[in-house]
Amino acid sequence: MKEALESIPIGAIVPFIVLNVILIVVALIDLFRSEQTRGPRWMWILIIVFLQLVGPVSYFIVGRRREA
Amino acid sequence: MSLVEIKDLNKTYGSKQAVHRLSFGIREGSCVALLGPNGAGKTTTLQMLAGLLAPTSGSIRFNGLPAQADLRRYIGYLPQQGAYYNWMSGSEFMHYSGQLAGLSKKEAVQRTNDLLDRVGLQEARKRKIGGYSGGMKQRLGLAQALIHQPKLVILDEPVSALDPVGRREVLELLKEIRKEATILFSTHVLHDAEAVSDDVLMIRDGELVLSGTLRDIRNAHRQPVIYIEEDVPQALQTWAIEWERLAHVTELSYQDGIVKLVVEQPDEVKQQLLQQIAQHRIPIRRFELAQTTLEDLFLKVVSS
Amino acid sequence: MRTWMLMYRKELLEMARNYKWIWIPCVFVLLGVMQPLTSHLMPQIIDAAGGLPEGAVIEIPPPVPSVVLLETLNNFGLIGVLVIVLSSMSIVSGERNSGVAGMVLVRPVRFLSYITAKWAGAMTLVTCSLLLGSLSAWYYTELLIGDLSLLDTLYGSLLYLLWFAVILALVVFFSATLKGAGPAAFLSLALVLALSLLTGMLPAWMTWSPARLTAHAASLLTEGQLLDLFWLNILVGVTMIVVLLVSAAALFRNRPLVD
Repeated sequence: MKEALESIPIGAIVPFIVLNVILIVVALIDLFRSEQTRGPRWMWILIIVFLQLVGPVSYFIVGRRREA
Repeated sequence: MSLVEIKDLNKTYGSKQAVHRLSFGIREGSCVALLGPNGAGKTTTLQMLAGLLAPTSGSIRFNGLPAQADLRRYIGYLPQQGAYYNWMSGSEFMHYSGQLAGLSKKEAVQRTNDLLDRVGLQEARKRKIGGYSGGMKQRLGLAQALIHQPKLVILDEPVSALDPVGRREVLELLKEIRKEATILFSTHVLHDAEAVSDDVLMIRDGELVLSGTLRDIRNAHRQPVIYIEEDVPQALQTWAIEWERLAHVTELSYQDGIVKLVVEQPDEVKQQLLQQIAQHRIPIRRFELAQTTLEDLFLKVVSS
Repeated sequence: MRTWMLMYRKELLEMARNYKWIWIPCVFVLLGVMQPLTSHLMPQIIDAAGGLPEGAVIEIPPPVPSVVLLETLNNFGLIGVLVIVLSSMSIVSGERNSGVAGMVLVRPVRFLSYITAKWAGAMTLVTCSLLLGSLSAWYYTELLIGDLSLLDTLYGSLLYLLWFAVILALVVFFSATLKGAGPAAFLSLALVLALSLLTGMLPAWMTWSPARLTAHAASLLTEGQLLDLFWLNILVGVTMIVVLLVSAAALFRNRPLVD
């Protein structure tokens, strides 16, 4: 497994990680800025941080209260 | 000279007739109150005037404009529930509204500055509308309705949702605005109409029941009225029935220990009543000659 | 046209303020990255797991670059579409329900402009996201799998883009005619799914279907040429967009804005 991961060039690893981090950070920023969310805040923090890609996306679609 | 002429305006939803054969004119420079109880068709009427709702039949004509003209250019409108893009700042929303209404960017910026100053939002202009209070939103609503210097400003229940302080602020603003624009606003509270308007249109069940200047209506419908208040509970109950049969008494009510008589010959009736009261030692606390108020008229119109 | 541009710019600004300009492109880029990555890792993972029973001969063919890209586009067509529909389901109904649509439409603005500006705004975001996603898929495929024509990648993506434009027009239509965002999303997804499935199952009957655009992309990438009736599918797709947007505006106009 280690070998497999090492076969990936750094130029592929870095963007992948950076993008995931951006998603998580933006979702968290929005979460802390908004006054209300659908569902408890701590639950969304866990979802955003621990579910790769799916977490932030479901926060933006479901958790965010639409402000008109 | 009238600015707008409304003829035979009708609106039906399914089988329900929301507005029925409404015809009236609005004088240029006047402030008109559309008065009526909830559900009378005020909002429907205003929405049709604002071009948000197509009338089932009838016409709305602006003086000097062709029948097919897009009237929205000449109208400023504030709905009952003003709604805004909460993610915009106050001045962003004003700029957007102004430019949509046909102003250049520069004009919009200038008008925004001017208007936000007048409604007292200059300080808050850069804050997100999402953080505004109800009163602030209502003042922003007034400002955006005025941004393009409309000929007619239409306001749907502009003060109903506000607390007494906010109410007074907005009424004061209306007095300011009416110096430069014609205003049509709806309300179900007579007091608000009396505070700022010259003309009133009373509607009930979608029909116009009374219209004219406040003064004319007050004069035309003023009737002498006599109030007699009892000193002992139920003392006037039987007398009320008796007095109803008196000549020149057109209307009598007995409520909360007060007999109210609407009469035609006040002196004559007064003499008769006072005589009876003295003769039978009827225990009364108050005997008063007065005139019916607009409130009486409004209540009558609304409830009958 | 001036008011249309104003409303279009407002849509773009709104999507920036609610971070859509960040997270939706991020999702597409990550989707674009994922397929080349897993294709690259898969044989080694199976190898490393050592789970193959003795004597079992499993020939794992080396991944083909164009196929990897095709799988990526397929993911865009599934997960990407889901994200697009769900993130734009209240595009019209949201403003209608809050009442702010009424504040805009009392201005001298055409209902059709209002609707098309919304569609065009969302389309701009989708275009950028899809292209970024495809480009990163191309980059990762080049890096990890093998040579891939950039031009073919772009052609394939553009075909998907037109299909997405049809889907977005459906969402705008349902969002303008239905009250809730949920029903609008559900109906849009159901129709897209039905159209895709029928096109796959009854190819003889569905030659006109714009869902065939994805099949054209597949054929272009693997065979190097488009299928028959390409222009018919383009024409039907564009017609659907026009009809959906025009009727959305007309239906929107005939319902009172405030209940």
